[in-house]
Amino acid sequence: MFDMLGNILKNLSSKPATRKYPFEKREPFKGTRGQVDIEIDSCIFCGICSKKCPSNAINVSKADKTWDVDHFKCVVCGVCEDVCPKKSIHMKEAYKSSAYSKRVSKYVQVPKPVEIEKQEGTQQ
Amino acid sequence: MIENLFEISKDQLLGEVQNMMYDKYRFVTSTCVDTGDEHLDVTYHFDKDLQLKNYRIRVQRGEEVPSISKIYLCALLVENEMKELFGLNVTNIAIDYGGHMLLSDDELVNPMARQITIEKRGAKKDV
Amino acid sequence: MSKTIIPFGPQHPVLPEPLHLKLVMEDEIIVEAIPAIGYVHRGLEKLTETKEFSQNIFIVERICGICSMMHAMAYCQGIETLMNVQIPDRAKFLRVIWGELHRIHSHLLWLGLLADSFGFESLFMQVWRDREKVMDIMEETAGSRVIISVNAIGGTRRDLSKDSLIKISVIIDEIKEDIKHVEKAFLNDYTVKHRLVGVGVLTKEQAYLFGAVGPMARASGINQDLRTTGYAAYGALDFEAVVETDGDSYARTAVRLKEVYQSIKLIKQAIALLPDGEISVPVKGNPTGEVISRVEQPRGEVLYYLKANGTKNLERLRVRTPTFANIPTLLQMLPGSQLADVPVLLLTIDPCISCTER
Repeated sequence: MFDMLGNILKNLSSKPATRKYPFEKREPFKGTRGQVDIEIDSCIFCGICSKKCPSNAINVSKADKTWDVDHFKCVVCGVCEDVCPKKSIHMKEAYKSSAYSKRVSKYVQVPKPVEIEKQEGTQQ
Repeated sequence: MIENLFEISKDQLLGEVQNMMYDKYRFVTSTCVDTGDEHLDVTYHFDKDLQLKNYRIRVQRGEEVPSISKIYLCALLVENEMKELFGLNVTNIAIDYGGHMLLSDDELVNPMARQITIEKRGAKKDV
Repeated sequence: MSKTIIPFGPQHPVLPEPLHLKLVMEDEIIVEAIPAIGYVHRGLEKLTETKEFSQNIFIVERICGICSMMHAMAYCQGIETLMNVQIPDRAKFLRVIWGELHRIHSHLLWLGLLADSFGFESLFMQVWRDREKVMDIMEETAGSRVIISVNAIGGTRRDLSKDSLIKISVIIDEIKEDIKHVEKAFLNDYTVKHRLVGVGVLTKEQAYLFGAVGPMARASGINQDLRTTGYAAYGALDFEAVVETDGDSYARTAVRLKEVYQSIKLIKQAIALLPDGEISVPVKGNPTGEVISRVEQPRGEVLYYLKANGTKNLERLRVRTPTFANIPTLLQMLPGSQLADVPVLLLTIDPCISCTER
């Protein structure tokens, strides 16, 4: 009958196992798959990430130079990060927060225009 | 390939299953595959001491297949599922759910059969 | 003696997933029970026909949240057999480590739910607090808490560093100490024994005839554990199946509790024997043929039937999960028992209804 007594005394004397969330937040672990993010300047718009995505969440348009992801379809599997040839996709560690409507989730990133190289000075 | 696969005809099915029960085999499950040419392949898997033994029959769509739930009662769940999803005509199941075990009234009829395809990438499902 | 029919509805505080039972009763004793499923049918087998075989891993993982890594392992083993791919030894041991961690978390979840079902809520909270340590290990090493996505065709996607291995060893020792404290409450407490001993007896012949698998069969005396066939790295590890002979709910609790200890020993052996090397091999081409692959999940034996015809899409993928085989045993166990024992009996088969209906 007194099997749980040791456990009860230990529980009464130690600090609680829960933390007071929103005032104390836990640091995410390194390598946690939270959300998909891209550095658009290094993307070459090959479209491999779009073909390999299991939930069809990525759309790539080579002509318009846009890359967009639907965060509400994405299952954060990490395949796009593995197959990108230029390694421009990486996983952010924070989980995605809730939103009021699904329209907000899609974002289109247009890259900056490529700078035209200035001609060198006169060459001999 | 699957090892220990025996092709038998529909009439031998009940006899072979009865032999399995006398030899103390455990019924694992049965699998239905729609081969695309109006035939359905039904495979019954049995197991003893972690070795599998499989029997396969080929039936036309709509042909009657006798139920083995009189011999192995645990087969009734999987036979109901095959009847609903593929349209395999299994007769005399011990508890027959009448086509409503998994699907509801306003869903597609026999969704796993080949005539129904889901379009890829973006288009909607069509019947 | 008039008969009444009581619905044990799909929504019930003790069930983790919806399952409907029609109980025909005379006074307080159940005479007949008819199960009805179909509340979570998602049609995943049809969906796998439209995706490529390398994308199917992610669908198959999401059939169930509690045993998700073993589904992916069985699928990957099937495809690797079809394409004649030999995975490196390090990948086999890594799969064993993550698989046994999954088994620990599943059994701890079940122990908590069982304590909740006969009203012992504080024990439920104790066990789930210990389970959080396992979830933290999985998030740190694999990336997510529940659906870990570490399997790939040809090996695994992530590696475990030496620091992670040391950390895993330390934490599972802590879990072992914590479970020792609650084991006494589960197995020796007078009221718990009163609720569990003699309830829902399944003899050895009945368990075999009804096709029971996993801890349900092992608690009735059938000595069958699929891990002894030696898939993945289990051939190199030294263990025995945990078997009890009574066949009632108390025996099933004891089997699952002892399997937690067995998993801890297996992880330690695997960490000690882990070889160096690469974690995956590249895979080219498409699979052809048909194959059956079986794996021991926490709830029993799962069977995968794969048929491929040389294109990128599979022709047929059939999954038979262990709860699908354990549900007909309810037809034998429920008649003759009291109404108040129904939640406990339902939980001892370890129902995972989303696995059953895919």
